[in-house]
Amino acid sequence: MKTEIRLNGALYAKIIQDLTRPHPFAAERVGFVFCRRGSLRDQGSLFLLTRYHSIPDNQYIDDPAVGARIGSEAMTWAMQAVYHGRPAREGIFHIHLHGHRGETGMSGTDAREIPKLIPGFQSVGREAAHGIIILSADHGSGWVWLRGSAEPVHADCVSVIGTPVGVFERGRKK
Amino acid sequence: MNMDRYSRQSFLGPNAEELLSRCTIGVPGLGGGGSHIVQQLAHIGFQRYVLYDDDVVEESNLNRLIGATPADVLAATLKLHLAKMMIYRLQPKAIVRGFACKWQENPEPLRECQIVVGCVDSYKGREELEIACRRYLMHYIDIGMDVHGKERPVIGGQIIQSSPGGLCMRCMGFLTDEKLATEAARYGNAGPRPQVVWPNGVLASTAVGLAVDLVTNWTRSGRSHAYLAYDGNAGTVKESLTLRNLKITACPHFPDADIGDPVLVAL
Repeated sequence: MKTEIRLNGALYAKIIQDLTRPHPFAAERVGFVFCRRGSLRDQGSLFLLTRYHSIPDNQYIDDPAVGARIGSEAMTWAMQAVYHGRPAREGIFHIHLHGHRGETGMSGTDAREIPKLIPGFQSVGREAAHGIIILSADHGSGWVWLRGSAEPVHADCVSVIGTPVGVFERGRKK
Repeated sequence: MNMDRYSRQSFLGPNAEELLSRCTIGVPGLGGGGSHIVQQLAHIGFQRYVLYDDDVVEESNLNRLIGATPADVLAATLKLHLAKMMIYRLQPKAIVRGFACKWQENPEPLRECQIVVGCVDSYKGREELEIACRRYLMHYIDIGMDVHGKERPVIGGQIIQSSPGGLCMRCMGFLTDEKLATEAARYGNAGPRPQVVWPNGVLASTAVGLAVDLVTNWTRSGRSHAYLAYDGNAGTVKESLTLRNLKITACPHFPDADIGDPVLVAL
């Protein structure tokens, strides 16, 4: 059962451009990206990213203990967006960037903090899949919580349909 | 990776073979155009394929179907089988998923592709492929040729790249309601159109060039769309005049949000 996250080149460029902007006090930026599902053979899934939401500077909380912490205003916005996206079963992914090259994964802080957001998204958009995407300078990884699931599926691949085409596979060197 | 094998294409970039080997490419239609396409894709280093064709080799195919022999006519060999054998001879480790049907009868495997090269005969077939590619975020490259006139035959053709977020075949003036309606009036039957091997070769080679550039970006063009017109009498491939004179820069036909499986909304 294949799980792939896919986005077009223009959206990828927009996300990278936003996430690499310096923030007045946070060490890194985070954002939200919306997705719709496409079915693959053998119950596999494509998660197709539609649009990106950049979190305004003033919705971050100054917390030197983590790279970036967003406040309740950003979370409320995200949950409302998921709620309004219910007819299209639009899900949401928390997305951020690790500066290194090659395959990336969740840091200890990422693994401890970000999954806590998912039940909130599931509560307002229960028919949709939600998740986490972490990009690196030349790769990307994703985790998807399927409808009603308490545990994520680690995506096999994140692909960028641009020029060049990017096929970032899990467990395969660049 | 065998460095000797690809030493003459090192200008594609240091990671080109790795990039090509990771990309999944679909080819619906394995006739005169598609047989050239898969042969070249296998030579250049693509390793993952999704192929569709439900036809068997017939006598009238032998003037242009790459790899076909009279024995295949006698054996009624599937064109799909010829394409798979061509790929495996060149790339023994290739992953080829082939389907002896029309792609619409089993569309899910096609969605795993990052690039689809359509080698279909009809405008309707092209439109359906482009819609699927936009809906599931895949680059679409279309090729096609025709011969017009009997007294003074004129060979024309096109190579089109339609990519998510870029201009589509309607934007580029290739697909029109008029063309689709005219074709529909013939019940979608294009008939036994004249076809010869060399224009298919030109179109297929140009399409493979676009596909390789999409994967490696070796030209640094970052092209979001393309419409190249083939003049088989002059022997030229040039940017379409329609495209050159186009005023629009954004596609109004495929909104970014219209992707994924259609969702039925209860009213």
